[in-house]
Amino acid sequence: MIQILIRYSTLLFLTLLVLAFMSFSLAYLFPGDPLENLTGLVPQNEMQREALTRQFKLDGPYLIQFFHYVENMLAGNWGYSFTSGLPLREEVGIALPATIELATYAMLMALFIGIPLGYYAGMRCYSTSDHVINSTSITTYSFPVFWFALLLILIFSLQLDSAPLSGRISLLYDIEPITGFIIVDILLSELANKPLALKDAFSHLALPTLAIGAITTASMIRITRRSVIDVKHRPYIAAAVSRGLSSWQIFFRHILRNALLPILPLMAIQITTLITNAMIVETLFSWPGIGNWLIQAIYQRDYPALRVGMMAVSTVVITLTILVDLFNRLIDPSREKYERATV
Amino acid sequence: MPQFSLYDEEFHPSPWQRTWLSFKSSHIAMVGLAMLGLFVIFSVFAPILTPYTAIEQNIDGLLLPPSWLPNGSISHIFGTDALGRDLFTLIIYGCRITLGSAFVTVVLAMLVGVSIGTIAGMLRGLRSSIVNHLLDALMAIPTLLIAIIIVAILGTGLVNSMWAITLALIPQFVHHTRSFVRAEMKKEYIVASKLDGANKWQLFFHSILPNMIEMLVVQGTLALSIAVIDISALGFLNLGAQASQPELGVILADGLDVAYLAPWNVAVPGMAIFLLVLSINIVGDGLRSALRKRVSH
Repeated sequence: MIQILIRYSTLLFLTLLVLAFMSFSLAYLFPGDPLENLTGLVPQNEMQREALTRQFKLDGPYLIQFFHYVENMLAGNWGYSFTSGLPLREEVGIALPATIELATYAMLMALFIGIPLGYYAGMRCYSTSDHVINSTSITTYSFPVFWFALLLILIFSLQLDSAPLSGRISLLYDIEPITGFIIVDILLSELANKPLALKDAFSHLALPTLAIGAITTASMIRITRRSVIDVKHRPYIAAAVSRGLSSWQIFFRHILRNALLPILPLMAIQITTLITNAMIVETLFSWPGIGNWLIQAIYQRDYPALRVGMMAVSTVVITLTILVDLFNRLIDPSREKYERATV
Repeated sequence: MPQFSLYDEEFHPSPWQRTWLSFKSSHIAMVGLAMLGLFVIFSVFAPILTPYTAIEQNIDGLLLPPSWLPNGSISHIFGTDALGRDLFTLIIYGCRITLGSAFVTVVLAMLVGVSIGTIAGMLRGLRSSIVNHLLDALMAIPTLLIAIIIVAILGTGLVNSMWAITLALIPQFVHHTRSFVRAEMKKEYIVASKLDGANKWQLFFHSILPNMIEMLVVQGTLALSIAVIDISALGFLNLGAQASQPELGVILADGLDVAYLAPWNVAVPGMAIFLLVLSINIVGDGLRSALRKRVSH
């Protein structure tokens, strides 16, 4: 147990170090001056440039520069944006939680709709209801997320006028960002009409969550269904049947938990797709998240923002992936044995 | 002369024939294959099949509605866009670019992924652990992020977005190849080859690779559908193909400007991407269940 924890924390540390190095080298790979790319400050004259170079230790060898860069990142000096001139840490601090919030709700939707439907389809495999669920999920899975979001906007926002088109919350409500998660912020705030604000926030959330969640749900259904069918063909299920257990007993005692095991590592892969989809959908709904922010940054060639954004998003995704992997390994001893045998 | 009752006509289907037979028995899979075939024919023979060229503008007919609407004409089946280009022609050329670049991307990713995966699968000890875990973790970076970084370094363009998607597709090939190679290395026939004195190179090419091809085909179709979606998404976000290239995502983004006036400019390209991805997914699914049926029987 402790050995596993140590191994995974080393892995996390090493990966983050590689990421930091990639982010540092981006300053040199991007077009333009590495000093400007690294700090986001544009020196007005030679003296200022020299001072900045000395301050950021850019005159030293690359290794020293890199250590100084990591030090700065840890201390929270992430540089400034070219376009807004604001400290990047603040901007990321506002944008990143918005994306995580969206992705979390979509993931919850996938878990609470996708997994039960997948179990249902798997238990009734090759029946009519299974075929209906399976074909619906293949169809949904094939939707390009940007087109799906556009269709939702066309139908619900423009035709039916039942959901707002863009943003996180109506401008009528002045919500102080404390945690960055809009629902939590509303609950924490001292607003007079909290229920109204909550309702407004939910109506803003509905369409983007649906757009991202539907596709994740579809793949979750497919993964779960496959896993349940695989488990159903195992010898221990045949043994349970021959012992005379009812199908409900078999489901609850044997299938339910065993089918969940292969789902977890696949969920880790889903996180990447989920964040990509969230980033695309954000641009369509003008959701003030990190995806929208990064896409604006690339349109305006805001290199410091891209460097920091890349670091922030990949840190979140990789930490989550490694955590899911670790969790998976802790609850699944058979996997651990397999890994030990090969490592 | 003794009379043997030999049954000459006995038919022993080869593994591929058996896969094809069980694939054929699923009607949905066949419909998907026909749709995919249609798309492939469209994209290969685009210049012959289209009535106009991709950049030909009909100044007298801007935003003509599709032929099934009262005002539409049969000379433009799907209508025209804001520049007077024939939408049907654009879509066919779009399929050509999107499907073609997705295919190239997948083949590249497969080559690189299989090589890395094999090396990672055959390695032992600490080296294998480091390679595997670090690769796993680093490859979790989202596609869009890789694309944004590559666009920032190299600039926009279809080829640059293809590089980004290749990078993003490699991990799943690495992953599957690695676990496949690991599982195969423990089987008897590999041990037998080893005892015959085969080196690792020979083991891979003569023993493992032939068994891996089916897995690669299935993974390839999966990757192809992801690549089509990603290429069109990057085109849609103006990070991939540029407006001069009729790529399905770019056509959709162009149509978005006139979505109120001419909704078919959004509906038709989106539908084309959707059907393309759907047909690839159906074929992939059919292939997978056919292979599964063959292995389990």
